This record gives sequence, structure tokens and C-alpha cells, in this order.
Amino acid sequence: MSEWAWFAVNSSMQVCTETFDNMSDSEASCAAAEGSEAALGKQNPSPAGTPDSSSPSTPDFSIDVALTRKARRRPETQPAAKVQDTPKEDEQPAKTSNQSTVSQGGWGYWGSWGKSILSTATATVATVGQGLTQVIEKAETSLGIPSPTELSAQVEEEEKQKVSSPVDGASTEPDKAVDESSAVGSAMGMLSSLSSVVQNTGKTVITGGLDALEFIGKKTMDVIAEGDPGFKKTKGLMRRNATLSQVLREAKEREELQSADKDSANSDKKVVAHYGMLFDEFQGLSHLEALEILSRESESKVKSVLLTLSGDELVQLRDELDQIKGSFSLVEFDDEEVDENKDEDGSEFERELKEAMEGLSVSATADKLSKACKSSSSLINELTKQHVETDVNEEDVKKHSVEEVHAAAIRSLAELTARSIELFHKLAEMILFSNGSTEASVLSQLTVVLCKEISLLSKKFTSCLTAAGSNEKGEVLNPLITGVFLEASNSASYIQDAFQLLMPILEISHIERRVQLTEQ
Amino acid sequence: METIWLYQFRLIVIGDSTVGKSCLIRRFTEGRFAQVSDPTVGVDFFSRLVEIEPGKRIKLQIWDTAGQERFRSITRAYYRNSVGGLLLFDITNRRSFQNVHNWLEEAQSHVQPHSIIFLLVGHKCDLEAQRQVTQQEAEKLAGAYGMRYVETSARDAINVEKAFVDLTKDIFELVRNGDIKIQDGWEGVKSGFVPNTVHSSEEVTKSSRQCYC
Repeated sequence: MSEWAWFAVNSSMQVCTETFDNMSDSEASCAAAEGSEAALGKQNPSPAGTPDSSSPSTPDFSIDVALTRKARRRPETQPAAKVQDTPKEDEQPAKTSNQSTVSQGGWGYWGSWGKSILSTATATVATVGQGLTQVIEKAETSLGIPSPTELSAQVEEEEKQKVSSPVDGASTEPDKAVDESSAVGSAMGMLSSLSSVVQNTGKTVITGGLDALEFIGKKTMDVIAEGDPGFKKTKGLMRRNATLSQVLREAKEREELQSADKDSANSDKKVVAHYGMLFDEFQGLSHLEALEILSRESESKVKSVLLTLSGDELVQLRDELDQIKGSFSLVEFDDEEVDENKDEDGSEFERELKEAMEGLSVSATADKLSKACKSSSSLINELTKQHVETDVNEEDVKKHSVEEVHAAAIRSLAELTARSIELFHKLAEMILFSNGSTEASVLSQLTVVLCKEISLLSKKFTSCLTAAGSNEKGEVLNPLITGVFLEASNSASYIQDAFQLLMPILEISHIERRVQLTEQ
Repeated sequence: METIWLYQFRLIVIGDSTVGKSCLIRRFTEGRFAQVSDPTVGVDFFSRLVEIEPGKRIKLQIWDTAGQERFRSITRAYYRNSVGGLLLFDITNRRSFQNVHNWLEEAQSHVQPHSIIFLLVGHKCDLEAQRQVTQQEAEKLAGAYGMRYVETSARDAINVEKAFVDLTKDIFELVRNGDIKIQDGWEGVKSGFVPNTVHSSEEVTKSSRQCYC
């Protein structure tokens, strides 16, 4: 949840900076805000061992990275299932009280702030959601915050500076970083990197309207519920009642409802790209559901096998299964070196995919995925070319509207994600019926390749968007850019969750292979 | 608008391998016939809208299962959430007809506590010269299990629409009469969205709120 806390911290910052322009004052006001938020009942299970402080990696301030990694843990599907059991109106407050209680003294723990703010926002979507909107918008205008694209460049610079800056610990903990912001030197730089994240997330929430806020909020709550760091270890075990497809389905259904509304109200509405609907169109939902079915079945088979064993046999099998589990929890996706200029035509991806897929016999599906990627690449090239041409001859070539580019981006992301899920589903089926052993490491490598591709794609598309929207106002362009980053981060989460669904499948496959060996 | 439908039905297509399940579905959903196709691995998915009465559209989500025996353990897991099914045999392959009974048993035992409305399909009816199963005996078998029977050809596009539309209509009637109910946690029938309906007050307030953003 570290990244969520991170994002949330940033929202808190933003709220505060809106009230007090001065950084150090804002700390105090934030603490005050925290107090009132805490009254709503919020908790931090382990203030000492916050995921943030335990994270060994240097925080990456670049927008997309933050988003990608943040969201990786976001659609926590296990709690989503819980949500469905509770009546709709109650779900947010109920969740809130679940994880609530310890109010924070001072402003020591940033993570819990985020929680308070977010949960308040989701609990009372209508009012707070709007308040947040205004706050963010005001903050933007008053601070003159640059566009996300400017920021991403700027932020990278800052990041470099920061790495070379001698402040100990400042770069590893967001809270400390803010604490010692004066020491970091560029206070404004800090502020803008903070606000860039909030701007990204905040803006999308706003554009998507309340429904989106509700939806994002729900997913957020799920992750927040995961506050306990120890829970992460057992996540793999617990998540398998997962209904990731249900989360997605909900989103899709809402989108359908929305477009149905719009359709009846206004027939010549602008192109609106709905990730969920497109994802379903590419059969991503079905593959996901089928994968979940297989995962669940395998899981219960593994359980029943474990029940029949005892003594040394049981211990040994447990050990072996733990090894498999181990390789599933090790996966960390860092897109540190995702270079926007790389892989112009998608052939690089194809090569990497081939490498990762070596020994996995699902070539047909992998081909589909490569094709999807190639068509995205050529689409991007075409969009880019158009802009170059329009510079020369503006009247002849009809410029792509930012909405069109945005729609293309969302569509590409949805397709690539759906194809990735399909690939995982096919892999699951192949693993289940073939007796060969499949290494979890191969699958994790594949996951990394896919997530990198998503990240790369989102960067390319946002560049296109920036080019296409050079004449557009920030209010028009920014939410679109944000939308692309957000869906990209969602895509990466879905892929990684699908990867997790493969774990019980590898386990049962391992058990079956073992049985065959002993029988021989 | 294309995305508006009354219901979504999930159909599963089963039958021996090489009877032409994927080809039939492709003809129905993509309107073309693939001369060569790889054996299906596990399950694949297709979807299409069907207009059963003017203005009444149903979205069909079709699960195309692998016929090969080696995939059986996997495909079994997929029956439960289907409301209807096409059970295919190849009229030029007697063995595939004899296996119809096994397929039905298999489906019945894995679909509990729900049930599937099946349609028996004698496929490849363009290959009349090689026919090994007469229409009469197929109809008799279908009748014994309370199924409709239809003969189709994906290559010549014979009865392909009819097969899917008839099944969809039958299911629609059952849904309309309340014999099949939409249930939480069951994906067989899902309710769709209808344009121009009166929205609940909650929705109305929601959208008006959005304007202030």
C-alpha cells in the first residue's frame, strides 16, 4: 500500500497547500486536518513498520512509475468480494470502521492520512468528492502547476538531482522527504512532484465524475484494507476467492449504463473510450473469468491433497509448495529503464515475448498478443506522423483530435491487457493438461515483459496526446493524459493479478507430476 | 446503439473434436468460414448480438470448448455458468453422433444446480454424400432428450443463424416466463441495459450532481 499512501499523502499535501501556500505552515495545517479526519475513524496497524520506510527502493517521483507501482496493489480483489456481501450504501463506512481506531498523534504517519482523506472521500462521495475537486482545481490555478507532461520531464530532472543530493533517508521515505524538504533544496520541485501525482489521480477522478470516483474509491478502500504489511505475505493465499473479473465487470456495466444514458440523451456525442467495455470486447473478461475458475479449482484440489497427507510427506510437500509461492511473491516490476523511444514497431516486444515464452507452448495466443502490440505501435507511428505533417501543412491534413488519440490509447491498452490475460489463461490450460514442468520464474519474467510494454505504450500515447493537444487548454488535455496513465496502471495491475492466479495452477501441476513420478 | 441489449446469455458449445464447433461459431460471429483451423485449446470466446424481435436484442457470449479428450478435465469447469448450449455432432461421423449421449451426461453432471437448454446440431450438412447419420434418427434422439434438432453447414452458411437464434428465442421465452431467473453469482443470464427507461431518482440526482464538477 505504500504507493497508495504515497498518493494519498500527496492529496493531503495538496489540500493543505491550498489553504496555506507556505510549505512549513501546511505541515501544521495538515496535522490539523489529520485530526479531524481521524475523527472519522482511521487506523494505522503498524506505524513503525510502514511499508514506506521498509521499502529499500528509492522512491521514484516520475508520474507513470508511481502510478504503475501504486496501482499494482490496487485492485485487491479479495476484499472486493467482501464488498459484494454488504449492502451498497453501507460498504464504505463499514470498511472505514473496520480498519479504524487509532488516531494519530501529530502527523507522524503519512499513510494513515491518506487513508483518512480517501475514505472520507469515498464514504461521502457526493460532498467530499466535490470538495476535493474544487480544492484541487483551486490549488492548481493558484500554484500554477505545470501540465503532467511538463512535469514528467521536470520530475525526472529533479529525481536526478535528488539522487545526487546528500540528504540521508530523504529519498527513501516520502514523509521524511517532506519533513526535510528545506534540506532537499528545491522545495518547489518537491511540491510539484508531489502535486503531479495528485494531479494525475485527482484529475481523472474528476473527469470520470462521481461514478468513477466511487469506483476508484472502492478499489482504493480494498487496498487500504490491506494496511497490515504482514497481510502481504498471505495475500497469495487469501486472494484466491478473487473475483477480479467481477471488479472489471462492474466497471464495464457502469460504463454501459453511462453510454446508454448518453446515447438516449445525445446521439452525436463525442467519442468516449471506455476501458472496461473495450476490455470485454476483446474477450478479456471471459478469459479472466475462465482463468479464475481454473485457479479456484486448482486451489481446492491442492487443499484436498494436503488434507490427505500427514507427517514427513506433508512437510515435504508444504516446503515444495512454499518454494512455488516464493517465486510468485518475489516479482517486483520496476520500469526504471522503460525508454520511450525504444521499440518503434513492436518487434522488440515480440522478441522479448518470445524469449519469455520459450518452452511454453502457446504460440498461437502469443502471436495474437504480438499482433496487438504491433498494431498499437503502428497506430502510434501514424498518429505521430500526422502531427509532423500538420506542422508543415495545417490546412490539408485533418489533425487528430485529442479525444481520438485518447480513445486510441485506451483501446490499445484494453486490447493489450485482454490479450495478456488471454495468454495467461491459455498458459493455465496448457500447464494443467501437459505434464511438463513450468517454472514460475518464466511466468514472472513474462509478467514483467507485459507490464513494461504497457508502461511503454502509455508513455508513447501520452506523447502523442501532448503533441495533438498542443493547442488545447490544460483542462482538456490533462484529464486525458491522466486517464491514459491511470488505465495503464490498471492494466498492469490486472496483468499482475492474473499472474497471481496461476500460482495454484502451478501447485496442482507440481503435485500431479509428483504423483506420476512415485507411481512409475 | 450497438451495446444495448435486454439480456446477455452465455452459451457453451460442445461435441467431439473436429465436428466443427469453432467453424460454426466463427461463421455465426465473424461471417466467414475458415478452411483451416487449429484445434481449440481449453476454451475460446466469441460474442454477438442477436435481434430476436424488432428492437429486442440479446447479447450472446459463446464459450467454444475444446473437443479433445485431453482437455476434458479443464472444460468441465466451464459448464456451470451457461444457460444454453449447442451440442454438435458431425453427420459424416457416426461416432460423434454416438457420443452425444456422453456429452449430455457430462454436461448434466457438471452444471448442477443449474441446467442447460441444449440444441442438437447435426453439422457439415453440405457433405450429403458422406452422410452417416440420418435426419430421422437424429431427430428421434433429440426428441428423447427434449431438444430441438437442426442441421447446419458452416461452409455453405446453412441454418447457422437459425441454430443460434432458435436457441436464443427458446431461452428468452423461459426467461420471460420466469422459468429461468437471473441469479447473483451465476453468469448464465445477465440483464442488459435498455435505453430511454425511467431512471431511478438516485441516478437522476447523480447525473445532475456531475454537472457541478
